Amino acid sequence: MIRAYYEIAKSQVKLDFAYGAWFWSSMVSSILQMLVLFYFWRAVYANGPSELHGYKLDDMITYMVVASMIGGYTNGAGGKLAEDIRGGLVAIELMRPYDQLSKLVALDLGGKFGYFLRNTVPILVLAFLFFHINLPPSWGAAAMFPLSTALGVLIGAQFDLLVGIMAFYTVNIWGLRVLRDAVLLFFTGQLVPVMLFPEWLQSVNRFLPFQSMVYVPVSIYTGALRGAEAWVQVGIQAAWLLGVFLLVRWTWSRAMRKVTIFGG
Amino acid sequence: MIDVQNLSKQYQIAKRDPGLAGAVKSLFSRKYETKQAVQDISFQIQKGEMVGYIGANGAGKSTTIKMLSGILTPSSGVVRVNGIVPYENRRRNASQIGAVFGQRTQLFWDIPIRESYHLLKHIYQVPETEFQQRLEMFTDVLDLGPLLGIPVRQMSLGQKMRAELAAAFLHNPAVVFLDEPTIGLDVAVKDRIRAFIREMNRQQETTVILTTHDMQDIEEICNRIIIIDGGKILYDGALQAIKERFGDKRTIHFDLEKNDGFTIPYALATRVEQVVSHREAAGKSNSISLSFNNAEITAAEVISEMMQAYTIRDLTIDEVHIEQIVKDIYERGL
Repeated sequence: MIRAYYEIAKSQVKLDFAYGAWFWSSMVSSILQMLVLFYFWRAVYANGPSELHGYKLDDMITYMVVASMIGGYTNGAGGKLAEDIRGGLVAIELMRPYDQLSKLVALDLGGKFGYFLRNTVPILVLAFLFFHINLPPSWGAAAMFPLSTALGVLIGAQFDLLVGIMAFYTVNIWGLRVLRDAVLLFFTGQLVPVMLFPEWLQSVNRFLPFQSMVYVPVSIYTGALRGAEAWVQVGIQAAWLLGVFLLVRWTWSRAMRKVTIFGG
Repeated sequence: MIDVQNLSKQYQIAKRDPGLAGAVKSLFSRKYETKQAVQDISFQIQKGEMVGYIGANGAGKSTTIKMLSGILTPSSGVVRVNGIVPYENRRRNASQIGAVFGQRTQLFWDIPIRESYHLLKHIYQVPETEFQQRLEMFTDVLDLGPLLGIPVRQMSLGQKMRAELAAAFLHNPAVVFLDEPTIGLDVAVKDRIRAFIREMNRQQETTVILTTHDMQDIEEICNRIIIIDGGKILYDGALQAIKERFGDKRTIHFDLEKNDGFTIPYALATRVEQVVSHREAAGKSNSISLSFNNAEITAAEVISEMMQAYTIRDLTIDEVHIEQIVKDIYERGL
């Protein structure tokens, strides 16, 4: 059965490559975005202090580049799920002998592989060859970063499914998705480092899952989080992943009961 | 193969008062209305049977199909497909059923259908050799050869439907639900699709449940029909039997030379009835339609009596169509 999910993921990659124009324009737009980011922060530092909360220019550039790179992965298959629910396709999906949620995750992972080639690879080239971003401070940090990133990406994917499932109850979740995008952009630390938030907001954020998606892996990369403290944060990430995963399963089974008993 | 006993399904439908006030009110309190979609139906279908499941729109057909495929949980009653209770064991049931929905595609929209078949092979865990064999046979019977490299997006309706049909049979399901598989297709494609369904049934003993509004489908594919109306079964039996039971009522349309006050000839008066056909309604006042019972009088007798009494330019005898029978049943009941 694992093979089936692998094939599903692969089909999504094929699907992504089917749209040539989209592939290239998406790649160009992510490069442009990086350039804007780079020159914006250069301008900020040129006319202001040489340090913001301990972030020098190269620290800030490093943070922003890595954060936007990871930030691109915080979405998931929720949009697809909501679309299926709206269009009634979910009924056909239920006639398939696979686990619908796992299938969505597989599709999403396939999509993310395409995204990696399309957006992350060019950003990496740009970042190291032209922006000269900092390397992780230690081998330990370099090893921990992919682990923490993977956890963060999976939390994002599950969270996105949770938003998607809401379509069973509200049918139209466009507003909810806009809200989700705004919340994620800000609270994950993708827009500005969480360290620049006011103190009270930072404390609030500590109890939310969002900083686990981007801020934690980036801070491990930059060395702002290290040693035992970093491991604690990774542990918290794992706990959030489990929590959101269980929440998704629970809301899904409730939604399924509603669908199969009340006919949607 | 399929066992349905005293199956019922009620829906709760949120009721809204009309207008803006009603819309606002519905945000706070909702009244529910119970709709009885399927009411106490029972039937058994044996392996290899091909059953036409027909009824007007909203009669409860798709509710039944959804319960058979495990998408809906019945309110009461028993349903078993190949020994499996679909709503308790949805995934296991899913691997032994196939479906085609005439209005919806189950294939990838944007990549060649070959890729979709390849994925289905893994999803249903069809062994490679079996998959190749079957695909070859489908390609042959449904003439899919030139289509395999094309995405559904670029296909005509007829091509698309052939591709869908192959997808539904790829894992050799024990039961296949076909929901209007020939809707909107031309005669040649319809023929090919019907031939394919019969062929699969002959080779694999696939049980087929067909819902359609095209009675030609029923006549050419099914040997049994179940008619459902208002959530209840009106008729369940052989196609031939229903024809014999209701098909003895026939109609002959006459075109008279001139029509000045037509009365039914004396010899026929008690056994024949004048009916208003669509042609008279269209204003062809020289047309007369007579309806009679085949058991009481033969068509030849009716014609010869009419020829003696009137000058007849032309006449047509209506064939007994299942369509007419079904229409009568919908309108008048059994």
